[in-house]
Amino acid sequence: MSATRSARDWLERIHALPLRGRVRIMNVCGGHERSITRAGLRTLLPAEIELIPGPGCPVCVCPEEDIHQAIHWALTAGVTLVAFGDMLRVPIDRPRREIRSLEQARAAGADVRPVASPTEAVRIAAAAPERPVVFFAAGFETTIAPVAAMLAEGIPDNLSVLLSGRLTWPAVAMLLASGEPGFDCLIAPGHVATVMGPEEWAFVVREHRIPTAVAGFTPESLLAAIYSTLRQHLEGRLFLDNCYPEVVRPGGNPEARALLRRTLEVVDAPWRGIGILPASGFALAAHSWDARRRHPPADHRDRPRAGGMPAGCDCARVVLGRIYPDACKLYGRTCTPRTPVGPCMVSDEGACRIWWTGGVRAPAPAEIPAGVQAP
Amino acid sequence: MCLGIPMRIVEIHGVNARCEAKGVSREVSLFMLQDEPLQVGDPVLVHVGYAIQKMTPQEARSTWELFDRALAAEEAAAPSGGEHV
Ligand code: SF4
Repeated sequence: MSATRSARDWLERIHALPLRGRVRIMNVCGGHERSITRAGLRTLLPAEIELIPGPGCPVCVCPEEDIHQAIHWALTAGVTLVAFGDMLRVPIDRPRREIRSLEQARAAGADVRPVASPTEAVRIAAAAPERPVVFFAAGFETTIAPVAAMLAEGIPDNLSVLLSGRLTWPAVAMLLASGEPGFDCLIAPGHVATVMGPEEWAFVVREHRIPTAVAGFTPESLLAAIYSTLRQHLEGRLFLDNCYPEVVRPGGNPEARALLRRTLEVVDAPWRGIGILPASGFALAAHSWDARRRHPPADHRDRPRAGGMPAGCDCARVVLGRIYPDACKLYGRTCTPRTPVGPCMVSDEGACRIWWTGGVRAPAPAEIPAGVQAP
Repeated sequence: MCLGIPMRIVEIHGVNARCEAKGVSREVSLFMLQDEPLQVGDPVLVHVGYAIQKMTPQEARSTWELFDRALAAEEAAAPSGGEHV
């Protein structure tokens, strides 16, 4: 065999499997969900297979207090606030007439700049050495490793970091420990595994007997992973498969992991709307990098819903794979990418936005009069 | 945000490289691949401006393919095995 199998080959192999009942396969990466939705994989797979978007959106779980803090500094502390573009539109708990996002802070005159790379944050700080610059960095391991590289390489004195980095596997561990994981098979995130190594996911197979495969982002790789977990499920022969071997190697990227160890610590951390998950967050190892040590803390006292999702927003349950995006009452009604209510409709990795952009429309508003059961 | 883009190295200068994908060229940090011998022409996976891994083409995409191949080879070796190519 000279080339790897095509997506069509994998699909045929999946359809040939003797599935006997419903199998729920969860992914934990917004990139996976986007590829699945874009390629329309759900409509191509046998009806027994359910693909569930799980905790794969770092922007969605970024603490509301951190965003509030960033907005507060941008408005009052005379700083330049740089953040990954996704963060700018995430709304916080504030009355509608007040400033509720970094984007609105920018419109009100604050110096807020979207960046696509930590190197841009360094460049912005180096260009104006007199001005304090805060880099608000939210992300999973794949994004936080470059932040670690930036810190290790050395940053200008006027640059500090507000870090909202999270690890992906603890959210899956939490679901598994809950006694009701909500999935039968797992597709592990390919780029997280590229950096951290696939071994991080071995516990899912070993301790929880859940078929697992690391996948990349092409339909071929995703379908291979779906096939692999289904066959593990059917034959009872479980192992951690690697369906993204082009970049996922044993041990991941050792240099990147060393940089993470050198510059950051792993700590218990809050997930928006979900709560504190043990050993799930990154914290800065050196105080000198910490924006919180340089700038005054924001006040949360007048914000009763601080830390939670906006009223009516079911994003936390969407993130955990407990409900599909279109099960939220606001999906497509008051909440669309143009007028997002919650973070899952803001971020490119949020399942609500991915589904809406992919053409999934809200079920028609109830035409059945109240009290009458559908047939 | 976790979007990794496969790019090809067109020029290396120190810890940085100019990389290209589909006609788009970008400055990329190789800081996380310092132990990896890299050359112009190598494909790398780029995320938020950093190369996070060198890409190496692979034959099999699932361990099942290796299992099945081994099984097929066994069957072919057995006297009753037949149609395996
Ligand atoms: S549709 Fe909007 S309001 Fe509902 S869960 Fe998604 S982001 Fe939140």
